Amino acid sequence: MSTVSLCLRPDISFAMKVPRAAYVRFPLGNPLGEPGRPDQQRRILDDLFELLETAEKPGIVELPYRWRRWL
Amino acid sequence: MTAGVPLDPADHAEGYRKWVEYIAHNHHAANPLTVETQQFTPLAKPLAESRVALVSSAGVHLDDQEPFHIATVAGDPSFRVLADDLDPGRLRFTHTHYDTKSAEADPNVVFPIDRLHEAVADGRIGSASPVHVGMMGFNPDPTPIAEVSAPAVAELLAGEGVDVVVLVPG
Repeated sequence: MSTVSLCLRPDISFAMKVPRAAYVRFPLGNPLGEPGRPDQQRRILDDLFELLETAEKPGIVELPYRWRRWL
Repeated sequence: MTAGVPLDPADHAEGYRKWVEYIAHNHHAANPLTVETQQFTPLAKPLAESRVALVSSAGVHLDDQEPFHIATVAGDPSFRVLADDLDPGRLRFTHTHYDTKSAEADPNVVFPIDRLHEAVADGRIGSASPVHVGMMGFNPDPTPIAEVSAPAVAELLAGEGVDVVVLVPG
């Protein structure tokens, strides 16, 4: 089985040697973004799928999204 | 071309060292895991033909399942099996190390089950696994996860014909 991780702490994900991860600068508890934003959630899920298709070696990428309303 | 900018592991080594120091100081049962082997399993088939499962560490479970044990400093390495046709309104989030307010307002923020189904409906992926898995991420000693729970989850999902696992934190 192939895996892809969404990641809120790249230092830990690197230490765990995850095969593929996408880091989002969102607060804990919000890995797919803001509540009630299905478009954002789907975009991030699709980014994970794209990473599965394109990554040729282990690594973590940072996605470009930013949190607009820090809790 | 991947979505996103590659990160350099060297920029994050010090952060992890400090994290381990913090955990060791605050949890007497702490036993941070050292992972030696780098895994990397290429896709076996196109995503449009792949079966995909979700594994969440956000303490997600159904309202009629036993909540994760959060009263203990030892953590809880167990997992809950979540049927693909579950009612998202019955999902609960038992975890004391993140704010569950967003998840309670919209379960897809930590467990994107509706978005997964949309990806099946529009052909981005082949199918959703008949089962998904909920775990609870607070485990100062992750040894029981590495040695017992994770292999059991992998066996469960492999038995369901899963090709791809999407792991989501809390």
